[in-house]
Amino acid sequence: MTIRRYLFSIPIFLVIYILQEAFITQLRLPLGGFSLLLIFTLIWATLSTPEIGALTGFGAGILMDISQSSPGPMGHWTLVLILAGYAVAFLGYGDDNIRSNPINIVLITTAGVVVSQLVFLLLGLLLGQALGSISHVLFLLAGSAFWTAIVSPLVLKIVSFIHANVFGTRSLI
Amino acid sequence: MRYGGDNRGRLLIIVLIVTSLFLITLDLRGVSVIDGLRNGTQTALTPVQKAGSWALTPFRNFASDVTHLGRTRNQIEKLKSENEKLRNTLQNRKIADAQLKQLKSVLNLAGSGGYEVINAKVISQGPSTSFTQTITIDAGTSSGIQSNMTVISGYGLVGVVKFAYTNSALVQLASDPGFRIGARIAQSQQIGILSGQGSRSGVLQLLDNTTSVKVGDALLARGSDNGRPFVPGVPIGEVTSVDNSPGAVTQTAEVKFYANFSTLGVVAVVKRNPASDPRDSLVPAKPRPTPLPTVTIYASPSPSPIPEP
Repeated sequence: MTIRRYLFSIPIFLVIYILQEAFITQLRLPLGGFSLLLIFTLIWATLSTPEIGALTGFGAGILMDISQSSPGPMGHWTLVLILAGYAVAFLGYGDDNIRSNPINIVLITTAGVVVSQLVFLLLGLLLGQALGSISHVLFLLAGSAFWTAIVSPLVLKIVSFIHANVFGTRSLI
Repeated sequence: MRYGGDNRGRLLIIVLIVTSLFLITLDLRGVSVIDGLRNGTQTALTPVQKAGSWALTPFRNFASDVTHLGRTRNQIEKLKSENEKLRNTLQNRKIADAQLKQLKSVLNLAGSGGYEVINAKVISQGPSTSFTQTITIDAGTSSGIQSNMTVISGYGLVGVVKFAYTNSALVQLASDPGFRIGARIAQSQQIGILSGQGSRSGVLQLLDNTTSVKVGDALLARGSDNGRPFVPGVPIGEVTSVDNSPGAVTQTAEVKFYANFSTLGVVAVVKRNPASDPRDSLVPAKPRPTPLPTVTIYASPSPSPIPEP
């Protein structure tokens, strides 16, 4: 039953992926911009069970890996997002104080995005990728946190609504 | 009640992690199915990206326009009050003019160097969330573009084609942290390796520690065998600072790229090596200071009137 509902979310993530690749990347935003797919995935995972969070991370990671601009090998983002999806879902699961409070979800998502990028970077280093200047990396991480904190509250209601329709109304914020 | 997990859940996580590690291993071993997947995705996405590029053209530089709003607030307010409709028309015209200017500029550079080029429009910029610096152009293998071809703009080197798809190509910018190019300093011909740093500045490492480099030196591409990945003579940038720390094994310098990667609209992919090395002929001329006209005024005292007796 849960897996069937998970399959329903695939087209939703495909639409977000196309939005990200075709439109969001066109906007030359300051501070490096944001990844809508990453934000959407982590909010979705926060509202789900840890298993669904990990599965969501797996699906979104595959999408991010097949993106032509992904620098790492296939599976790089997948591994990071499985762990991130599981972790954020685990943090919120069973604790209504976290799930029912939008501020907590925004905070978890923002921290999740930054930590995911950091883990992605460290894993990339292990796989032999170049890092660039530390100051630039810190600048991008700060920019990513800034944009995630701005965008998350804007999309939270939409994600919550879609999630509630796919998995049941209990997660509606 | 906190989540304690169960065996089924743990098994699922382990299966997912093993799958992702399996994918990483397959990709690192060069399995063609993975490349085909990315290639197919990009081929399918290219028309959507083109549509997105067309739809977002008026808004693309919105953020940079906003950051400049403070400086020119008075002027903008005045213009707004004049004619909103005319402003929109002018904006569209400006975009077209800017692209035309970039196209002219890149063709001028390619013509001077004798490069055979394929022009392309930038349709997407890679996300910085992956810590890479890339752009996607709207020409691919169907236009004769292949991987490892030099990409230039009117100012000089932009990067290198990393992957070529049917109707698009991914270009690794020279500012990418993974970018490396053999460079030589114009006139002195010293050689070194320039690497991207994620910003508009790169770091040049000279190969010979007995030579020296100075601020203002222009850097050119050394070129590769058969012009791939780099054709010779392409201007790269200018030395902005030199690290003269004693005891350093090799001398390093910071280089500012000529190309402004955040405003790329039209670029050219070098299809064929020039018949002869253009050497230093493409080094941009240094700006000359405009002489200020000086006016010398000679004042001579007028004879004082003689008092009448």
